[in-house]
Formats: sequence, structure tokens, C-alpha cells
Amino acid sequence: MKLSRSFSARLSTTILVITSMLFIISMLVVLLFSRKIIAEEAKKNAVEMLSSTSLNIVHTLDEAESTVKNVAWLVEERLEDTTYMYSITSAVVAINEEIVGSCIAFRPNYFEGKHYFAPYAYDSENDSIQTKQLGNDQCNYFKMEWFAVPFLTKKPHWSNPYFDKDGGQIMMTTYSYPIMNDKKEVIAVLTADISIEWLTHQLCALNLNDNSKILLIGDKGQYISGNLPGIGFQEDIVKYEEAKKNPDFIKLIKKMTSLEKGTMTMRTGHYYSFAVYGPLYNGWSTAIITPTKNTFAKLNFMQFVIAIVSILGLLLLFLSCLRIIKTLTRPVTEFSKAALVMAQGNFQAQLPQIETEDEIKDLHDSFEQMQQSIIHYIQELKTTTATKERFESELNIARNIQLSMVPTDFPDNERYSVHALLQPAREVGGDLYDFQEKGDDVFFVIGDVSGKGVPAALVMAITRAAFRFLSGLGLTIDKMVEKINNTLSSRNESNMFVTLFVGKINLTTGEMYYCNAGHNPIVIHHADGHAEYLHAKSNIAVGVLENFIFEPEVIHLEKGSRLILYTDGVTEAEDVTEAQFGEPRLLDFAVKIDEKDSSKDIIDHLITDVKEFTGEATQNDDITILTISYKKD
Amino acid sequence: MNVTINQEGNKYNVILEGRVDTSNAAQFEQDLKPLMEASNAEIQIDCSGMTYTSSQGLRYFLMLQKHVMSHQGSLVLRNMQPQVKEVFDITGFSNIIKIE
Repeated sequence: MKLSRSFSARLSTTILVITSMLFIISMLVVLLFSRKIIAEEAKKNAVEMLSSTSLNIVHTLDEAESTVKNVAWLVEERLEDTTYMYSITSAVVAINEEIVGSCIAFRPNYFEGKHYFAPYAYDSENDSIQTKQLGNDQCNYFKMEWFAVPFLTKKPHWSNPYFDKDGGQIMMTTYSYPIMNDKKEVIAVLTADISIEWLTHQLCALNLNDNSKILLIGDKGQYISGNLPGIGFQEDIVKYEEAKKNPDFIKLIKKMTSLEKGTMTMRTGHYYSFAVYGPLYNGWSTAIITPTKNTFAKLNFMQFVIAIVSILGLLLLFLSCLRIIKTLTRPVTEFSKAALVMAQGNFQAQLPQIETEDEIKDLHDSFEQMQQSIIHYIQELKTTTATKERFESELNIARNIQLSMVPTDFPDNERYSVHALLQPAREVGGDLYDFQEKGDDVFFVIGDVSGKGVPAALVMAITRAAFRFLSGLGLTIDKMVEKINNTLSSRNESNMFVTLFVGKINLTTGEMYYCNAGHNPIVIHHADGHAEYLHAKSNIAVGVLENFIFEPEVIHLEKGSRLILYTDGVTEAEDVTEAQFGEPRLLDFAVKIDEKDSSKDIIDHLITDVKEFTGEATQNDDITILTISYKKD
Repeated sequence: MNVTINQEGNKYNVILEGRVDTSNAAQFEQDLKPLMEASNAEIQIDCSGMTYTSSQGLRYFLMLQKHVMSHQGSLVLRNMQPQVKEVFDITGFSNIIKIE
């Protein structure tokens, strides 16, 4: 699957990336703010919870104090009635349900013969209030904190929490209130016992997160209550396992024991927690420690849910984009296929149907137009090619006619021989040659019609026919040329002209009459081996000026002479550098003609030389050569 | 082949450069057209840049000559290179066209 290369996949990916980035950024911002708000809320909650709990506890303890204070006067009033003391203590326990026990402990020997006297009432297991006398030698209350401190200070006192072995068999703290006589001497201590379990219950009733810790410690740092695992009642909190390895925990304890109030962030192992702490009552202090991860648990869960939903959403977006873009670009794919089909030569390739009025429709229209244009051009090209082929075949026919019009039966007898070559440059040329024996005379002509192609061939045909006709009439050479000239000149609208060299050799006398009508000078190879260009008056090419008087000339040819007649296709044959074969090179060739060379040999050798000279260059003019050998006897 | 025609009134100064051969004869005819349509034209053609002319080219010179003769004009070819002059001589065209 070429997913990574396809346009739709790339576009979809881009959209996906951008959307994801936007989403992630906005989510990060939201989460950051949420965290901050949640953290602050949690802190506020914890502080409020702590202070409301404190209030609750303080209220309960205050109630206990009030209860005690409210009955103190009864004790003072009815000091002599020992039985009534039991009633008072029972009443205290009954009045305040938080008070699990109450005692009136008299100083030693207050009553005659009674070293210990401490009437005590307490909640029994079956919910009824029991009483008993507490003091004896095993339970020497004089030395206990709850008695000793108020006895000596004459002030009420909350004892440190302790396990009551003697009374209710529970963890408790005791409020002691000194009862004084008129002399301000402490005669007894009235107490109320509060169960610490109640405290623990209070603290644990708080709606705390899992893993949150709550602790209540005394003024000396002793653990009173809370949910710390592995620490016992009244144990020194600094010896607690957690405290030993966590300096932040020690810091918290110090702040608590110095009764400070506030919050702090602490590091616990791999995670952070924050603690809210504050003094409670009687030198006690309490703290709630909540791991941050707990605070953010819901947020983290929400984060997780959002992440899952986003990923699913983005996936859906990606797939939708892919589908939509694919649908949109399908025509492009089909255009591409159509173009490929067209590239293979099938111009009728089916184009996709476009129903929408959009860019794709424009593309479709352009494509269709291109297709129609190509079909049209191809059709035109076919027609043109066919026309050209027909034209070329006609030209070929013309060429065959032209070539068949010059004689190819070359005379070769004991008196003379003639040979000729006509090599048109293009389809139909304008060169001509002819010769005719009439009695003792041999007439010959070579000519070059201006231009090429069919017009030149027509002129050539007329010229050659005129020569044929005139050479049979016994005219002089110059008259022959004049008649040809007048034939061609009259009504020569297209200004075609022909350069001609016409000659007549008398085979008996060797006299050669000739007339040059603007043609190249011919070459004579004399019997003695030397060669030269025959001096000839140029006159003018035939067809140029009507009624022009041509001058004939005459020389005597010795037997063994050779004549080389040619058209400018020979001397002006060019090589690839456009250098011309030239007249000097032709003369050099003529000098080298051997006595044994036949008329045909001369032509063969000359054409070979010319071909060698021109090499790869294309022939751009007709080449015609006519050779005549006037043989020795 | 390059034909430049500068006209001042009925005076035409023409500059010919390059070769006139079969391949560009038609273009040459086209280039000479303004001269073929002028009357009383005094045409001077500078041939110093002309290196070759085929018989086809000669034909256009002949046409031009006939045109000026029948339209009371004149034609002079100047500064002809020797090999080109030779073609004009051989064909006898130098007899009917004024060459300086």
C-alpha cells in the first residue's frame, strides 16, 4: 500500500498532526489549571476538615470540662456523705455520654482511717453504670498524673492519654478538677475520663481519601490517635518507622509539637504529599497527610479517559479525512489513469464523470478539451501525412519519368563513346543531358534548370524535347540555342531559366562547334594528356532574354581527346564544412585520366572522388556528368 | 540568409548576407517582396556578405531585374565576392544585371 506517498494520506496526516497538537496544547492548559484548582480546593478542604474536626473535639472536651465543673460544688457541699460521692460520679457518667468514667479521689487520710478513698463510676460493658472504690495499695492514685498534677498546681488538668488498667480497661485521657476547702487546700480531685477510642472514631470518621494519613499527637510528641500503621498508643512519634527515613516528616512533627498551624508539601518516597496541621487542645496537635496522587486521582482518571477518547476521536478523524480526501481526489487518480491510457496511444480514454462544479470539474473540462484537441490534431496529422505520402509518391513517379527522359543507351563504337550520369538531389531535379548522332555529327547538350522539383522538371522536358527536335533540322549550334531560348523566354512568367552547353562534333574532321548559354565551362583532356577548361563565351542562360543573339565558337579536337561536361552539382558539391569540391579539384582529376579509361570509367572515378570529398554531407544539388571520348583511329 | 532593407523614398539600400540555396530560396523570395512591389525603385544591393547563390537565387535576381526594368527603376549589385561574381559571369547574368 502506497499510503505514505499518496496525497490523501499526506493531507490526512497533516490534519491529524495539527489537530493533535492543538488538542494536546489545549488539554495541557486545561489540565494545568485543573490541577492548580484541584490542589487549592483539596488544601482548602483539608484545612476546613481539620478545623471543623478540631472544633468538634474541642466542643466535646469542653462539654466534659463543663460537666465536671458543674458538679464540683456538689462535692464541696456534701463532703461528709461518702455514699453520695458515688452518686455524683455516677451522675457525671450518666449526664455526658462521652464520659466513660468519673472519680472523686480524696487526698490521703482525708477521712479517718481511710488512706485511699476514691469513689469511681464507669460505663460497664452491658451499658449500665457501675461504681467501685478505686484506691488501694496496688492502685496508688496519689502518684498518678491525673491526681498529682492538679493536687500540686491547684488547677484543672487534662492528663496525657493513658491505658486505664484499673478503671474502664480502655485508652483514655482524664480531666482533673481540684476541689478545695476554705483554706484553699486541695482536698480531692474530681475527674472525667474520655475514651481515646472515641477520639480515634472522630478522626477516622473524616471523609478522607484512601492512603491519607491522620494523626493526633500529644505535647511531648507521643502518638495518641490516628491511622498510622505500625505505631502504638503513646509511642514517641519520632521513633516511628516513617519518621526515621523522612526528614519532611520530622519537620512536620516539630511544627506540630510547637503548636503551629498551617500546610506543607512533603516528599514521601517517590511521591509528594501535602500536610495540613494545627493545634487541637491541651497541647495536642493533629495533622492530615494526603498524597498528591490521591488528590489528582480523579483528574488522572479523567486525563486517561480524555486521552483514550481523543485517540479514538483522532483516529476517526484521520480515517474520515482519508476517506473524504480519497473521494475528492479519486477523479485525479482516474485522470492520471486516463492520461496513461492516452500516453499509450488510445486517445478515446474514458474520463471520470464529474458531477460537482469545482476545480475538479475545471480539470475535467480542460482534460476533455485537450483530449479533443489531440484527437483533432492526430486526425489532421494523419490527413497531412497521407497527403504528403501521396505527394511523395507522385514526385517519385515524376522522378522516374524525368530519369527515363534522358537517354541511357550510350553509344560506344570505334570512333567515339558517350556516357552520362544524372543523380538528382531531391525527388525531381532540373538537370538534363542528351546526345544524338546525325550523320558525321554528334550533337550533345548538358543543362541545368534553375530550381528543382516539378517546375524544373517540366522546363527540363521542354528543353530536352526542343534539343531533340532542333538537332535533327541541320541548324547551326547558335541558331539551335537561340530557338531554345526564344521557346523558353516567351511568356516565361515564372522566370525559370536554363544554363546550357550545346555542342556538335564532326567525327571526321574533329571540328567542334559549341555554344555556351551561361553554363559551367567544360573540361577537355587532350590526347597528349594535359587538361584545361575550354574557353567559352558565357552568353546568357536561356529563358532570360528573348531574341538574345548567341555567339557560336569552334575548336579542333584531336583524336584521343576527352570532354567532360558537368553541372554545378559537381564543382559545388560541399563537404560537412561547406567547402566546395571546386574547379581546381576537377581539373586535377581530369589530368589524371588514363588513356585506357572508358567514358564510363571517367564518370565512375569522378563520382567516387566527389563522394569521397563530400563524405557524410547531404547532396543539395543535382549532379550530372556527360563524358565524350573522341577515339583515335 | 539575411536580408536587410533600408528604404528612403524610392531608394532602397539592401544588405544581403549568407547563402542563397534551395533550402532558403522561398524565404529569400519572401524577403525580396517589398522590392518587387515598388515602382521607380532605385535599388542598391550590398552583396559583400553573400557567400553563395544557387540557380534558384539567380532566378530571383532575374525577376527583380525584370521588375525594375518594367517599372522604371534601377538595380545595382555591389561588392560581390569573387566566387559569387563568377556565377553571375558564367550564367551571363552580369550581362543584364548591373554589377559594380
